Amino acid sequence: MTLSRRGFLKLSAAATLSTAFSGIGFAMKPATVDRITMLKPEWSKQTTTVCCYCAVGCGLIVNTALAGTQRAINIEGDPDHPINEGALCAKGASIYQLAEGNPGQPNPRLTKVMYRKPYGTKWEAKSWDWALERIAKNIKRDRDASFATKNAKGQTVNRCEGLASVGSAAMDNEECWAYQAFLRSLGLTYIEHQARI
Amino acid sequence: MSGKSFLVDLTKCTACRGCQIACKQWKKLPGEKTKNTGTHQNPPDFSYNTLRVVRFSEKEIDGQMQWFFTPDQCRHCLEAPCKTATNDPEAILIDEQTGAVVYTAKTAKEDFETVRGICPYDVPRMDKKTKLISKCDMCNDRVKAGKRPACVTSCPTGTMNFGDRDDMLKLAEKRLAEAKKKHPKAQLIDAESVRVIFLTANEPNLYSKTMMADASTSAPGQRLLNRQEFLAGITTPLKNILG
Repeated sequence: MTLSRRGFLKLSAAATLSTAFSGIGFAMKPATVDRITMLKPEWSKQTTTVCCYCAVGCGLIVNTALAGTQRAINIEGDPDHPINEGALCAKGASIYQLAEGNPGQPNPRLTKVMYRKPYGTKWEAKSWDWALERIAKNIKRDRDASFATKNAKGQTVNRCEGLASVGSAAMDNEECWAYQAFLRSLGLTYIEHQARI
Repeated sequence: MSGKSFLVDLTKCTACRGCQIACKQWKKLPGEKTKNTGTHQNPPDFSYNTLRVVRFSEKEIDGQMQWFFTPDQCRHCLEAPCKTATNDPEAILIDEQTGAVVYTAKTAKEDFETVRGICPYDVPRMDKKTKLISKCDMCNDRVKAGKRPACVTSCPTGTMNFGDRDDMLKLAEKRLAEAKKKHPKAQLIDAESVRVIFLTANEPNLYSKTMMADASTSAPGQRLLNRQEFLAGITTPLKNILG
């Protein structure tokens, strides 16, 4: 078994910590490393983002585990952010669940899509691949049918008037950027985010 | 050793419950299934997984409805009665640096009813399966790493304050003086005996039954009852002064 330097350090740290805490039982549920240690750069990567829930725009710090699940392990208010100075409301404070679900339970992220045919009465389970392809086909069809290169005055507009986007409530700042860029590249002009509705 | 303390200025609390969720987020405690009990207080009480709950109390004063909010948590008593109710001295530890009262895994072997019964604020709760007893631990891990507790970090209104005990006592007096101008009945709750000092705008019993330590609320026949009376006794002169 070969070990990188980082891996060796992690193992040593985990061993030390589990020894240190096993006797005292400070952690109610024994973990490899306690929560505060996981915030250190050896264990997790820190990124900042903006709360997606309302137009106030509170700053958040997200810690993502470097090893193991490589998922978010802690999300809290950013004390250096000028808007909220670390504070969060109940909804913002719960934003960890948006990505990871209820602690101790499997992530409720959708693994399949429920589909109902036009005029159909029953829901069918379909795969994401099937759904994405169908959405792509529908977008292509409607965009081709409604794309306008010029308006009534003859000015060049290059826009798609037959499609609109409404919602995106549970998207974070970066996802919104990617989504907006995607919609604009299709030529959409009717774009509304939840924060404006 | 003066340790750390909280000042909870209830004249500023809007019951947004950011602290309640921030606590769950940091400790990764799961949500609970609850039902509508006719109040916004949700979950309705502390549980093994809910170490912090914002209590809502509706009272009619001079013909007007008034709302009193209590972000309730363990008070981290200077002389913790719960520690005297345990057989194993390692079941409940008091951190020398911060003064936090911390429940360890060894609470599973203690008698839960005694531990809960002796708490003047009715805070400890037990997990039915593991028999472990839990409550707020002052985010001792965060505090020792130089961070503020999760609830204090998330508070948007300045209700939750945290720092060295001496500073918090000074802040408490300052905030009390400010609050008195608008709320003549404002008072500090059990400031000399606990590390979580509430500043109420009105009589403490309007907020919740367990806002203030009171010997009369304890059930008779419990072990070390006189200890609890003793604790309540310490605070009586202060209560009298503050009215």
